[in-house]
Amino acid sequence: MLRYIVRRLLVSIPVLIALTFVVFALMRAIPGGPFDFVGDKSLPASVVANLERKYHLDEPLLKQYGRYLWDLLHLDMGPSMRERGRMVNDIVRDNFPVSFQLGAMSVALAVVMGIPLGILAALKQNSWIDYLATFIAVIGVAIPALVLAPFLIWIVGVRLGWLPAALWGAERPFYLGFIPKPTPDFFRHAILPVVTLGTGFTAAIGRLTRAALLQVIREDYIRTARAKGLRERAVVVRHALKNSLIPVVTVIGPLFAAVVTGTFVVEQMFAIPGMGKYYVTAISQRDYPVIMGVTLIYAVLLVAANLLVDMTYAWLDPRIRYQ
Amino acid sequence: MSSKLRWVWVLGVIVLVAMVVVACAPAAAPTAEEPITLDLHFGTDPPTLDPALGSDTTSIWADEQLYLALTDLDDVTVEAIPELATWEVSADGLVYTFSMRDDAKWVHYDIRIDTVEEVGPVTAHDVVYGTKRTLDPRTGSPYAYVLYLIEGGEDLNTADPDELSEEELQALIDGVGIKALDDYTVEVTLTQSAAFFPAVASMWVMRPMPQATIEEFGEDWVMPGNLVSNGPYVLTEWSHGAMLRFKKNPYYYDADQVQIEAINGPVIMETSTAFALYEAGELDIMADPGWGVPLPDMDRVRADPALSKELSIEPRLCTYYYGFVTTKPPFDNVLVRKAFAAAIDSQALIDNVLKGGQLPAHTFACPGIWGAPVDDMTIAPYLLDIAEGKAKAQEFLAEAGYPNCEGFPEVILMHNISEGHALIAQAIQEMWRENLGCTVKIETMEWSAYLNMLLPDSPDEDKPQIYRLGWCADYPDEANWVGDVFNSKSTQNYAKFFNDEFDAAVEEALGEQDLEKRAALYNRAEHLLIDENMAIAPIYYYTRVNMFKPYLTEHPVNPAGGTVHMDKWVLDWEAKKAALGLE
Repeated sequence: MLRYIVRRLLVSIPVLIALTFVVFALMRAIPGGPFDFVGDKSLPASVVANLERKYHLDEPLLKQYGRYLWDLLHLDMGPSMRERGRMVNDIVRDNFPVSFQLGAMSVALAVVMGIPLGILAALKQNSWIDYLATFIAVIGVAIPALVLAPFLIWIVGVRLGWLPAALWGAERPFYLGFIPKPTPDFFRHAILPVVTLGTGFTAAIGRLTRAALLQVIREDYIRTARAKGLRERAVVVRHALKNSLIPVVTVIGPLFAAVVTGTFVVEQMFAIPGMGKYYVTAISQRDYPVIMGVTLIYAVLLVAANLLVDMTYAWLDPRIRYQ
Repeated sequence: MSSKLRWVWVLGVIVLVAMVVVACAPAAAPTAEEPITLDLHFGTDPPTLDPALGSDTTSIWADEQLYLALTDLDDVTVEAIPELATWEVSADGLVYTFSMRDDAKWVHYDIRIDTVEEVGPVTAHDVVYGTKRTLDPRTGSPYAYVLYLIEGGEDLNTADPDELSEEELQALIDGVGIKALDDYTVEVTLTQSAAFFPAVASMWVMRPMPQATIEEFGEDWVMPGNLVSNGPYVLTEWSHGAMLRFKKNPYYYDADQVQIEAINGPVIMETSTAFALYEAGELDIMADPGWGVPLPDMDRVRADPALSKELSIEPRLCTYYYGFVTTKPPFDNVLVRKAFAAAIDSQALIDNVLKGGQLPAHTFACPGIWGAPVDDMTIAPYLLDIAEGKAKAQEFLAEAGYPNCEGFPEVILMHNISEGHALIAQAIQEMWRENLGCTVKIETMEWSAYLNMLLPDSPDEDKPQIYRLGWCADYPDEANWVGDVFNSKSTQNYAKFFNDEFDAAVEEALGEQDLEKRAALYNRAEHLLIDENMAIAPIYYYTRVNMFKPYLTEHPVNPAGGTVHMDKWVLDWEAKKAALGLE
């Protein structure tokens, strides 16, 4: 297992380097640069030249790329070109923990709610419970965060006044750099965005669990378990559920990587200072180091999440072994 | 269920229940001893709080609270008035002498003990340092070019430091025409007479800057704890993307007149979210440095008896216009341009789409800009009257050889991607169809690519015939409008309007000492740009559609972007507490 992990990690290094090259090439291929305009105005050539010189954009592209890789080797992702005086490392340090808190809680909600929902629906297939669970799942999938967020903000936050309509309640500094103090204010602010982000995932995981469990429950070894005289509960939980979680875990890995690195819509709607906005604004502003930085962070987390998923397979299904 | 798995579920449920229980605990209420606090919001995190680097209204708003300038802009007339200094100008208009007050102080907020400390006096040397720092090419100031009218300013800012020795660069820095005659007198020498220079001296890029702090902390000098400032407020917190907090500077020379003691501003990028918080009582204003009233809520706000009283529409020094690429057929024909401009019903657009009390435009420069001939009704008056405009439009088009738009080629109107611009474009597309019989295709493009495509030296075949753009004042003078934008050498001259008489008029106006003659020259320039050549179709002059809670009893908003004097605002603290149920 250890050899497998080390091999996977080593393989991921050229993948990440290739990714930096592709992103670097792509962002330079699109027209425009970070200093083309301020507001509605384009800048005089002399001013653009000063700015490009300051950020080494006047150098040949390959030299710029080499400089980026060299800095990256020293764990320096460079300066933001639009947030003057701020390094990409600062952006990751300040904003990633917030996205992580929101994303992790949403995935946790999805797992805690979605899997039991799926189990119930599968075990009571074609009963009213199944139909209700499926209905909830379809609604959950069908209502995008863009609709759910303003609805919750308006009804729960403004009209009823039960919970804060927006903003993030975590107090800095965070434990270990990303775990917030569990204050009432933190949870009060977290509920609406977590529900908004988690609802769709809950529905998706619920539907996936139901489908996988329905398939597994018809396998021969389940029939054998039943024939041995095991109680239905033991058959379902010990034999069926564990195996049926493989597709669910497969989905949760990349999902986790995607949501903990920032979700633009939910963060924007609830004014949460996460990383999500940078995936959008950095591109429209041509903030090259920030585009590279956030892409890289996402890629690293995706690689890590996929590795974790692969390792979980062995625990869920003893037939899977790693060479 | 296996015992391990069971524990996972039990733990999950416990966590969820705990979250709900903890969340339901009452939030801590502010105590009665809290300072008089204004809750506003920022529409975006300020890209910088370094006055040499600012270029956006959010950063400029913060600069206005933190740093004093030699001059200021009056909240009503937008004319330059003394702030740190009074001034005199030489007879030839080239040398300005600023006499500074001696009671302005640099202060430092000590984050550990929550105390504001006095650092020292603000002197003429700080102004000289700040101006030269902005012009130094190594600073990379996006707005350095507005200081090119200072002698030696352009030479310094356009120099390549990599090509120069230290001595050569220092010689250029020393050669900039700004010097401290003594601790409280600054002398500025211009390359040519510029009557608007006192307004330029109010800009953020020419403010005194604390040399010792900048040299000690580098780019981090603006962070709380490091920052040394001199304005009516100090910065106490800047959590990037989340929150900025300010508190009153007790050493500010006019501190007795500053009523609001603390300002809190979360960063909220979504306008509807900000408005939800405003309605929930968590924000006191919908205005700079944040969002105004969201357009979809305008009808509801106007209809609501309480909300409508909080609505406040104020002028803003910006103009929205459609430009014509004058070198691209059929818009190389002035009659076609006039026809399309005349067929726009600006008032209907304002009433039905914009709904923010904007004013229909018939000049490029808007009211409030020195020299803007907005009252001269000989400049394309038909732009303000659709009945006349429609008749004229059809006349112009027929004269151009396209009666009822017959035989008119397909033309493209392009705007950058934005819901608001799309609504305006669709409305105007319909006006052209109805008033001219012409069908225009609308295309959109992402902002950065859009501006690159429009640059005067970009190929015409990539461009649309009609483009949308706006212009806002850097300083309130026509020199910054017709002079900066549509002269033949300007990179902003997307219309490719090249006119020798126009160039001569704006050039002469720049150095003209006689104000009457100067105004006449700008009047002529606007005539040439709009009435005679219709290089652009001015559509409307902007407004700010703000909302203020009733307990904000005084809230002057300067028409110039970002220049908001929070030290002049007054908040009825008892009324606010009562409104929020804090008593």
